[in-house]
Parts: sequence; C-alpha cells; structure tokens
Amino acid sequence: MSTRSIRRDLLIWLLGGLLLAVAVAAVGTYFRAREEANALFDYQLKEMAASLSGAPFTAASGIAGGESGNSALVVQIWDRNGVKLYLSQPQRELPQYAQLGFTTIHTEQGAWRVFSSFDGSQVVQVAQPMSARRELAASMALRTIIPVLAALPLLALLIWFIIARGLQPLDRVAAAVARRSPVLLEPVSERGLPSEVQPLVHALNGLLDRLGIALAAQRSFIADAAHELRTPLTAVHLQAQLAERASTDDERRRALADLKAGLERATRLSEQLLTLAREEPGVIERAPVDVDLAELAREAIGELAPLAETKSIDLGLSASAKAAVMGDPQALRALVSNLVDNALRYTPSGGRVDVAVGADPDGAAMLSVRDNGPGIAPAERDRVFDRFYRGPSSGVPGSGLGLAIVKSVADRHGVTIALGEGIEGKGLGVSVRFPLPDRNQSQVGRS
Amino acid sequence: MRVLLAEDDAMIGASVRHGLRQDGFTVDWVSDGRAAELALADRVHDALVLDLGLPKRTGVEVLQGMRRRGDARPVLILTARDAVADRVAGLDAGADDYMVKPFELDELAARLRALLRRSAGRAASVLVHGELTIDPATREVRRNGEPVALSAREFALLEALLARPGAILSRAQLEEKLYGWSESVESNAVEVYIHALRRKLGTGFIRNVRGVGWMVSRPVAQA
Repeated sequence: MSTRSIRRDLLIWLLGGLLLAVAVAAVGTYFRAREEANALFDYQLKEMAASLSGAPFTAASGIAGGESGNSALVVQIWDRNGVKLYLSQPQRELPQYAQLGFTTIHTEQGAWRVFSSFDGSQVVQVAQPMSARRELAASMALRTIIPVLAALPLLALLIWFIIARGLQPLDRVAAAVARRSPVLLEPVSERGLPSEVQPLVHALNGLLDRLGIALAAQRSFIADAAHELRTPLTAVHLQAQLAERASTDDERRRALADLKAGLERATRLSEQLLTLAREEPGVIERAPVDVDLAELAREAIGELAPLAETKSIDLGLSASAKAAVMGDPQALRALVSNLVDNALRYTPSGGRVDVAVGADPDGAAMLSVRDNGPGIAPAERDRVFDRFYRGPSSGVPGSGLGLAIVKSVADRHGVTIALGEGIEGKGLGVSVRFPLPDRNQSQVGRS
Repeated sequence: MRVLLAEDDAMIGASVRHGLRQDGFTVDWVSDGRAAELALADRVHDALVLDLGLPKRTGVEVLQGMRRRGDARPVLILTARDAVADRVAGLDAGADDYMVKPFELDELAARLRALLRRSAGRAASVLVHGELTIDPATREVRRNGEPVALSAREFALLEALLARPGAILSRAQLEEKLYGWSESVESNAVEVYIHALRRKLGTGFIRNVRGVGWMVSRPVAQA
C-alpha cells in the first residue's frame, strides 16, 4: 500500500548493512580473541605446571589441599607410580592423562584444556575449562560492538538528514514541474542539478518541448478550423436571409435549395474535421486487421457514383486481384473515398476517373486514382497535403482537408503517396503504395 | 449604384450579389484578386466590397494597389478573421469600413449606402432636391410629400443623376450604372426610363443636352 521512498529504503539498507558489518566484525573479534585467549591461557597453564613441578608434594601433604588457587583451574599431581599426591578440587576429578603436553578433553562438565608435564619424579597436570576462554572472547567481541550499537541511533539520524539534503534537488524539480501548465511549458532549469537528476530533467525538458510543439499545432489547427467553418456558416447565414426575404414561392424554393446546399457543405466540412481529428496520432488506436483494398475501392466508388453521374464523369475500377493490407478499415476507407472524391471534384464534367487496385513487382499492394482534370503543378505538389490548402485553380468547393486526411491516414499506415500524371499525360494521378507485409505483424494479425 | 464584389467563395458571392441586387445595387462579382484589379481599372463601379482572403492577389494587396494609384472609391472589407490585427491591417491599408463574417445583408447594404453617401460629400441619408425627397435606404421617393412609385431601374437612374446635380451623364455612363456585366442592355432603355421619370416627376426635372446626355439642374433655392 505505502509508496516506496528512496529515503526510507536507503535508511533501511544502510543501517542493515551497517548492522551486518558490525555483526561480522563481532564474530571476527570473537574468533581472534579466542585464539589469543588460547595462546595466553595455554601459556598460563604451562607456567603454572612449571611452577608446580619440583615442588615437594607427598602423598600425605596433598590430597586434602583443596581450596587453594584459581577455582577455574584444576591441578592434579601424582608420582611416577601413579599415586595421586595433590588434587586442587577434589569434587572435580579429571581423568589422569599419561599424555604429556597440551590436550583438549571432553567430559560431562564440558571441554577442558589440559597441560601435563613430567619432571622425572612426578606428573603435574593443570586443566582449565574451555568455557572460560569462550567467555573472555565473547566479552571482548561485545566490547567492540557496543560503542557502534550505542552510536547507531545517532548514525540513523545523520543518514536521514544527509539523504534529505541529497534529495533536495528532486523537490526543487518537482516544484518547478508543478508550476508548468499548458500555457507555461518553458524548460525546467538544468543548472546546478546533480548528475543523477540531470538526465531526468533533460528528458522532461525534451518532452515539454515536444508537447509545446504539439499544442501549438493543435491551437493553430483549431484556429484554422474555426476560420474554415466560418466560411460555410457565413454562406448558410446569407442564404437563410435570402430565404427570409423571398417574396414569391418560386423565389423561396430557390433560396431554400441554396440553403440546403450550404448546409450540406457545412456538414461535410465538420465531418472532414472529425475524420481528421480521429486520425490524430494517439487518439484512437485500433488493432490493425486484414482489409481488402479492392473491396474498399468498390465501396468508395459506390458511394460517390451519384456525384460522378451528376458531373457525367466516367468513373471506373480495375482490380487485378484481391489486395490484402493490414490497417484500420475506417481510416483506409476515408483515404480511398477522399482520393476519389477529390478526383471527381477537380475533374470537369465529361471527364474520366480511373481507380486501380493491384500489386507492384515487389508484391506490395497498390492503389491509384487517376483523372484527366487540370492536375497539380509539380511546384504545388508538396503543399496540397497541407490542411486547408486549396489550389489556385479555386472555384471548386472543397474543404481543403481531403488530401490532409489522406496524408495522415497514409502516415499512420506507413503508406507512401506519389503524385504524378493522370490519364494519358493529363490531369492528376495519385499512387498509394502499402508497405510489404511484415512477417511478425501479419502473424499478430492472424492470431 | 454599381458595386464590385470580390469574394472567392461561390456560395457567399452568389448570396451577397443576390441580396445587394434586391437592395437596388447593380453588382458585379469577381472571385480573385487579379480579376478585381482588372474590373477596378474600368472605373465603372462606385464602391468595392472586398473579401480579404482572395486567391492570386489578397484583398489587402488589391486595396493597397488601389490607394497607390490614387483610387479613392469607398471600400468595405469582409473578413472571416475577427482578430483585431486583421481588421486594423485592412483599415490601415485603406479600407473605409469592415464587416466580419457572418454578417447581415441589410447591414451590408446600409453600410454601403453610408459609404457612398460620404464619398459624395453628403451627411444626410435622405436626398432632397427641390420638391423631391429620396431615401436610398428604403428607395422611397416623395414629391411634395406624396409618394411616387418607381421601378428599381428608374430609381437607380434617378439616384445616378441626383448624385451629381449639374453634371451631364452620357447614355453609356447611365447604362453602366444600370446594368451589371451579365445583364444585356436593351436598346433605348435609358430613353424609356427617362421618359417614365419625367412622366412621374414632372417634365422639367430632367434636362436633355442634345448629343451629350442628361442632367438634373442644381437646386436653385432649396426650400
């Protein structure tokens, strides 16, 4: 539930690491202290044995000797015949060992370190429990870590504040980003930022920049769109006034017919604007599906046949084969019908518009729309895809959006558009070439 | 009054022409800047209604060219951009008035009449000449307070003659005021209308200067 915090994470990991290091140090200290204690106590045992050997112990003087000396040490002395001469702690009898030098023996009371020496007349054996050495080592280890443990809260506090200080630039960046809005998209200052934060801010500034460009494009598009809508609406407004003024039925009928045509134009423009808005990158992402280009062309021609008929234009399709492409069927239909519509609008009455669907030698699906109208001068061919651009041979009522729609659909589908000559070297020919099917993509499409 | 309309949109152009004709203007319509300049060179129009977004030559270019040549005819600009900067640019280029699309036909006609009145040096909207009062807005003519019914062409002819009292207008000049480009001029039409006006307004009102044309005398002592 709780969000991650760099500060908390760092604190936990740093303190955890520190504790682990302290623990390792304590264990190391313990083992080294035990080694040293071993050497020290062994030396003590040896010294003790040396000081006792040669001492005048007799069987009579000894056994009850009892309480003298270090209670942790057990001293036994016996003569060469094995007769016990002295036992420092009668209640703790250790086995007699014939083996001279150091040995470690295990008894019911734990492990003992034993040193035995023989001076020619008697055997002196000094024993000490191993636990004494472990206790010493442990207390030494404990002494080394206690100061560190005591300083731990202070250390935690210090780490907490250092991290806070290190993260301050992030707070500054966050505040600067929070101040940004669609009207204020200026880059966040990258000066004085730590090198860890700089790439983030740099990337953010890149994003702000691209966002600013996209927003400016949107704004100018909306301004253009509002302006373009004003023209057909002005026409409708005027036509309505004329209908109002009409004094005879005949005049009114004619005025209303004009008004209807004006409304149709305004409607078409708003539809074109909607289509274009839908083609904006990222607005609607539909998974590409298989689309038959020839079928699309047939539909578009069917839709536009009435327009061709009123202008007596010979509109026809030649489809050599089923041309399957991957894409958004609605967008591709808009592409095809805008191309055909454009050709019909600009071709004078009695002209001809040919739509062809097929494949190029590489196997890429192609669609072409050619007419024998006025065509487009090569110098103008780049501009015709701009939104709201109309050719200088104006007078043709158009929204200026048809080819802009074609372009954005084409861009989204990776389609290349070529403008060239139309029928028999006259007019305009638009060729649309679809990308060769990508194997991976087509598999995705089939699954 | 003959007006040149420069508007590239077919529907708007047709509607404005139709509406202004209903209001008694003679209208010629061009749909690009170059055609507008050619038409202006003929000097037959009394005013120009100019769309700023014309192809070939923009409205502002047409206007600037006109003013450079010393052409002072009234110009009303039509603009689809309602930004102040656009209107300022139009007015600074020499326009006398502007209207933002969409606009009312009645208002366009009224503003045109006002521009024409000012360019003729008159302040009052009603023309008074002797015992005649003429209201170009309502196209009402009264003689001694009695309304006189005139046809549109008769009114246009009277208006043209009264615009410059004392000046002689030739038949060709009068025909230009009455007919747009697309309209065919009937022979003797001017004589027919003059005859009708004399019948309705009194024979002495319009004087014929033989071989030159017609004129209305300057009002001697305006009552």
